[in-house]
Amino acid sequence: MIGGSISRWTMTYFAAAVTWLLAALALMVVGIGHPAADLAAPDTLVLVHVVCIGWLSIAMCGALFQFVPVLIARPLFSERWALPALALLTAGLISLLAGFMALGGRLPSAPWLLPLGAVLLVTGFGLVVVDLGLTAWQRPTGPARFVLVGLASLCTTVAFGTVFAFALAGWAGRIGEVVLARGIPLHAIAGLGGWLTLTAMGVSYRLLSMFMLAPDVDDRQSRLTLAVGALAIAATVAGGAAAIGFQAGLNTVLAIAALLGLVCAILYGRDLAGIFRTRKRRHLELNMRMALLSFASLAGTGLLGIALVSTRTLPTHVGALAFLAVFGWLSGLVLAKLYKIVAFLTWLETYGPVMGRAPTPRVQDLVAERRATKWFSIYYASVWMGTFALLAGEPNVFRMAAAAMAVGVVGIVHEIIRIRRLEDVTSSLRLPAGAVAPHLLFAKT
Amino acid sequence: MTAYLDVDARPILRSGGEPFSVIMAALERLEKGQGLRLYAPFKPVPLFAVMADRGFAHSERALDGGEWEVLFTPVEAKAETGSPSGENAPFAPWPQPIMELDNRDLDPPEPMVRILAAAEKLGPGETLSSLLSREPVFLFPQLERRGFRWLGGFRPDGATYELTVRAPS
Repeated sequence: MIGGSISRWTMTYFAAAVTWLLAALALMVVGIGHPAADLAAPDTLVLVHVVCIGWLSIAMCGALFQFVPVLIARPLFSERWALPALALLTAGLISLLAGFMALGGRLPSAPWLLPLGAVLLVTGFGLVVVDLGLTAWQRPTGPARFVLVGLASLCTTVAFGTVFAFALAGWAGRIGEVVLARGIPLHAIAGLGGWLTLTAMGVSYRLLSMFMLAPDVDDRQSRLTLAVGALAIAATVAGGAAAIGFQAGLNTVLAIAALLGLVCAILYGRDLAGIFRTRKRRHLELNMRMALLSFASLAGTGLLGIALVSTRTLPTHVGALAFLAVFGWLSGLVLAKLYKIVAFLTWLETYGPVMGRAPTPRVQDLVAERRATKWFSIYYASVWMGTFALLAGEPNVFRMAAAAMAVGVVGIVHEIIRIRRLEDVTSSLRLPAGAVAPHLLFAKT
Repeated sequence: MTAYLDVDARPILRSGGEPFSVIMAALERLEKGQGLRLYAPFKPVPLFAVMADRGFAHSERALDGGEWEVLFTPVEAKAETGSPSGENAPFAPWPQPIMELDNRDLDPPEPMVRILAAAEKLGPGETLSSLLSREPVFLFPQLERRGFRWLGGFRPDGATYELTVRAPS
């Protein structure tokens, strides 16, 4: 079929992702992982991977299964791979987490858990990358290019992670040990910067211009933003690998990458400003206002990074920097866009078949923005509070902030479930003849 | 060796015209076994399905400046199964649109709602046209499910998408 049909398993991905986010918040509230534990401690590794794989990567994959076909106006290479990929990712993540817990003495020693988790994750992400990659490759223009670079970065991240997993099990030999000892920054930058950030940027270009009636960002302009971002990741990975190979310091490589990353963020800011300036739709919906807070958090991450480097306190506060990037920028953007995407897809699935034949509600009739505003405000305020708590070295304040974040997220998720169940639609319009109520966890079409 | 008849849709689209009827007229002039070579300022994806129905396989090649050359080659096996003609045959030129909508300044997904509402009012075989600011990717599956045909593409400025929808006969 030509064009954008509804991806069957996107809601399933979102539900799995949100479950992992709630699990991560529970860990933070209880005080497992950083800041209670060291950044490299097994408990922190559990927390970091719940957030980065369970929440962000799974949410991103679910969104891409829906939006890559829309970006390029071609059908997905294979719809049937999506659910097996989710099962593999979930099983792989659980095995990986169990391996970290065994490493920290929370479970009996079982060195094979980490390599098993890595293999399952490689297979799961492999299915995602091939499926989305072959789809995007058909028409690699504009935002689809960001997705391709993001997928390449995902491969790099997973490759490093696999080496680490085998090295921790003692199965990777001398080279594996060396890569494990020094390669962690490369793994983190490729994952957070390349995969999650560049992909989020690419998708946001199209979503923002589509929902605000703005012309697409000029191709040459966004290509420059992407080129600088891709260069930052390539410099990190290639330069970092060379530095590790020649037993040289990583600082020069990381400094160059940071500089390029900063330039990329500034260029992205310029592109966004262009979209907001040229938009025909003056009124900003909630998801756009909340996305602005996420962009502000990205800018804040950049400024905080500069401040920490210039005061030579980056090593002490790298946790706070990563926290702001992950929860202010990435998670904030994903939550804001989830709120809109779920409403739009639910509307399309339910009312598409009867549109023009019976009166149907507008997309905005599915949401209750005033109620949701409150939960988003609580979320962002507590993320910023958590960042300050980490900077100030106040673990108890951080746990309070995490609890407040959890309240915000539970509120947002509750709103999203209400959207999916059409609970805010006037009863006279809710289910016109011929319309079928959507299932909470998957699309029926 | 297949011989091809050339149709250049680029000047027609550039002057704001609708090339569909020209393409269909050219098809009628084709001799048995002859193919069609089309030049277009965009990849004419909707046409592929229409041509496949008529027994033509396509192969496309990107030219400079975002333009495309598409070869439509008759597939012998299909061509010999007799002509699936009928009133809805895409060979016949489409009639002039009875409605012209300008949906460029509407919030999404309002253009889709209006086009579907208007399409439901079309009589058998009638057409409507609409201007849009994007390719309406979510509209296509809905049109297809309802048995409508469509043709669309961006104008050379790249900012306006022109869509023609035809009701089933």
